[in-house]
Amino acid sequence: MMDIVDYKDLIDKCSHCAFCEAVCPVFKEDLLETHVARSRLLIIKESLIDHHLPVTRRVKEIVNRCLLCAQCKNACPAGVPVDDIVIAARYNLYQGKRSPFFKRQIMKHIMAQRGKSDFFRRAGAFATKMGLDMADLPQIKRQSFSDMYQGTYAPKSKRRAKVAYFAGCATNAFYPDTGDAVMKVLSRNGVEITLPEGLVCCGIPALSEGDIETAKEMMKININILSKTDADYIVTDCTSCFMTLKEKSLTIIDGSDAIRQHAETVSLKITDVMSFLNQTGLTDDFPALKETYTYHIPCHARGMADLMTAPVKLLSNVDQARYVILDDDNGCCGAGGMFFTEYKALSGAMRDKKCRAIRQTAATTIVTQCPSCRTYIQAGFGNDKKVTHPMVLLARGYGLYIV
Amino acid sequence: MKNGLARDLKKQIGKDNVKTDSEDLLAYCSDATHQSIKGKPDAIVLPLTPQDISKIVSYASKHQVPVVPRGAGSGLSGSSTPIKGGIVLDIKRMNRIIDINKGNLTAIAEAGVVLARFHKQVEKENLFYPPDPQSMSVCTLGGNVSTRAGGPRGVKYGTTGNYILGLEVVLPDGSIIHTGGSCVKQSVGYDITHLMTGAEGTLGVITKVTTRLLPLPAAKKTIIVKCRTTEQAAIAVSDIIAAGIIPSMLEFLSLGAIALMNTLISPPIVADGEAYLFIEIDGFPVQIEEDAKRIKYVCEDVDVMEIRVVEDKKEAASYWKARSSLYPLVLSFVKKVIVEDVTVPRNRIPEFVKSIEKISASTGIAIGVSGHAGDGNMHPSVLMGDVSEEMEKKAQDAIRQIVACGLELGGSISGEHGIGIHKAEFILQEMGARQIELFKSIKKAIDPEGIMNPGKIWIDGDSV
Ligand SMILES: Cc1cc2nc3c(=O)[nH]c(=O)nc-3n(C[C@H](O)[C@H](O)[C@H](O)COP(=O)(O)OP(=O)(O)OC[C@H]3O[C@@H](n4cnc5c(N)ncnc54)[C@H](O)[C@@H]3O)c2cc1C
Ligand code: SF4
Ligand code: SF4
Repeated sequence: MMDIVDYKDLIDKCSHCAFCEAVCPVFKEDLLETHVARSRLLIIKESLIDHHLPVTRRVKEIVNRCLLCAQCKNACPAGVPVDDIVIAARYNLYQGKRSPFFKRQIMKHIMAQRGKSDFFRRAGAFATKMGLDMADLPQIKRQSFSDMYQGTYAPKSKRRAKVAYFAGCATNAFYPDTGDAVMKVLSRNGVEITLPEGLVCCGIPALSEGDIETAKEMMKININILSKTDADYIVTDCTSCFMTLKEKSLTIIDGSDAIRQHAETVSLKITDVMSFLNQTGLTDDFPALKETYTYHIPCHARGMADLMTAPVKLLSNVDQARYVILDDDNGCCGAGGMFFTEYKALSGAMRDKKCRAIRQTAATTIVTQCPSCRTYIQAGFGNDKKVTHPMVLLARGYGLYIV
Repeated sequence: MKNGLARDLKKQIGKDNVKTDSEDLLAYCSDATHQSIKGKPDAIVLPLTPQDISKIVSYASKHQVPVVPRGAGSGLSGSSTPIKGGIVLDIKRMNRIIDINKGNLTAIAEAGVVLARFHKQVEKENLFYPPDPQSMSVCTLGGNVSTRAGGPRGVKYGTTGNYILGLEVVLPDGSIIHTGGSCVKQSVGYDITHLMTGAEGTLGVITKVTTRLLPLPAAKKTIIVKCRTTEQAAIAVSDIIAAGIIPSMLEFLSLGAIALMNTLISPPIVADGEAYLFIEIDGFPVQIEEDAKRIKYVCEDVDVMEIRVVEDKKEAASYWKARSSLYPLVLSFVKKVIVEDVTVPRNRIPEFVKSIEKISASTGIAIGVSGHAGDGNMHPSVLMGDVSEEMEKKAQDAIRQIVACGLELGGSISGEHGIGIHKAEFILQEMGARQIELFKSIKKAIDPEGIMNPGKIWIDGDSV
């Protein structure tokens, strides 16, 4: 569904019970009721659907000042898909033109190139112009994941399954170590891996902008390619890619779309790489690593118990690695994809809390499967602590060399 | 005047703590009683100290501007809605837990502290604050005190009112008073603490709360009882109480409620009975074993379909989580729900339940009966598949009958939600004219300008 008007009935399901107050990270920062899901819904309905309220700057602010973290949706007993509604509201307000022209162009380019654009490298000034603080951004790696790996890879031990690997943009351009770890660990555990050619960004950055058209374009390209794979599963390493391919594609590509059937087939095959490994079990010798780590749960992982618990479950196989719980009520780190570039102070306050809670633990390493959280939390610590992907930690447990 | 009000308020406590954009005003129009907008405020004020509040109410008294205190806005009686406009005073930013005193079993916290956070902090010290309104993840201590909130644990531990030892209150004239204190025994004149408790913000603004605490029970256990009929479940409840067993929670749930709650329960309950009891017992392990046995005997005596002691803690937690989500779950399936709060003496529950079924049949409107049966607080809920004038009429008719029936059985129109605007029309029936007169004279003595939350509790509430 793309039209905000189509969400009227779902908005009406909101009972105003206020349960979303308990979880909304944005609300928790200023405790102003205008910034909690139930009020966002009411204001969206009054201004964009019923037109009782003019579309003011404040209305736009309320629609924009949302991380799309879906925490409210997960907590909502009525199951109101607040994040989808906010996306549709952004689409209604901006028709895909929420950000300035040059920023949109760059984003489009980056998404088509799966993050490989070297705009950042060439022109830091550009990034600054886009409102990005270079200190908060990861370095683009000289060698991207797709430079390192192409085609199909036979497993290093007895073949147990075949997967197609959807490496996200961030893995491709900024964190090839994640991809390297996924490839090496899967291979050691008897998994044949194919890397389908021609994939583009999953579309989540465009969705966040409310640019549903572009997101849909990206989804269609990916679905066309992925539906052709003969792999048993399609694995992802990033929670947002997972969510977009598994769920959002089915919201955006509805029954009237010719490609719907393919979207459903692909959605069924989409699996988080760590859940996949938990399910199939590790066959390779048991890994070991002396490390005390904690786990930051990305907001998008919280919608599904399996997705949320997979990293710790998987890493419990690593001998000598000690897991310490983060006692911070599962707070958001403030990244929210690119949200932190728009609301620096707000995100900064969330990150401060997160870093404080992490410092309270004995952890020297923080694992998280979302590249946006990884980047943002790492920037909060500088060189003080290491934030990495759980698969990288597992690979290190195997004593593997990871780029 | 309205521009003037915003300017004056900003001058009093700084511009960042005052909101007047129409979007912000809209967000503060309603509480949890469905989305309908009841009245629009002129300004939202977010104070940080009692002194901030003192300045605001003094100003409001002088200019006769209504002031509506507000916690989480999770109330179910419309009591925090600004039906006469004016200032909404959002207390949520006053949220420090000041002291947890293990040696005295007391705690002091600001009124904006969210109950779940308070529970967590207190329980970290192995202490226990029992009041447990099902909105605990969001509702505030100030809101709880002002509505005498309670929950499933009311059956054994009572409600908020039973735990309040003292308050800090800003009166409408701007004075800041400290009522009661940290002593568990107090006998000094009129009990202002408990006059403010349940006052729904009509007498002053609560800024700090001193509560009594208990030691945290060593263990607990959940028991699920499946009953053939609603009546059988009602009889089991009064028999459990009559047998002298006091569970920490004793909830009554209809088949329809279970069907909805099953979406959150794992593994789901096989829903082939007409009514269910969710029971929790707490205490020392030996005592729990004994209570469980006795509950089993009583239930077997009434020939229920199934009694199951849930051993797995995670599974038990999923039952209680589903229970706390029942109200919004119901709303995902009907258009509007009016949750009634009529409470009856526990030995009258079977009659009450039967009457509700009759009322439902005669008015032709669905009425759910699921509630805190252990304390007689049954929460009959009028379920509206669609919202039309005819439906509203039927609903109001059903509510009037439910209220009349509850009062006839020696009950009360509200066990825990308070009166607000939605129950105001019935208060005369329960209290009688003389007591309402008393209410009004108390109100006049404390709030002569009638600025505090006007239009609540009794129908002509603003004309003190
Ligand atoms: C899903 C759901 C389940 C619920 N379950 C229960 C339940 O089991 N038991 C129960 O008792 N209630 C229940 N409630 C109702 C509600 O949560 C309680 O009434 C709660 O105490 C309200 O707290 P609040 O902070 O939201 O107060 P609000 O709704 O903001 O205010 C309630 C009243 O208190 C006044 N007030 C608030 N703060 C102050 C203050 N600092 N000083 C003076 N006056 C103040 C307001 O003016 C208003 O009159 C439920 C509500 C929902 C939505
Ligand atoms: S939790 Fe869901 S139903 Fe409840 S107020 Fe929030 S959005 Fe509405
Ligand atoms: S998606 Fe996240 S930030 Fe947005 S309203 Fe929901 S909880 Fe708040």
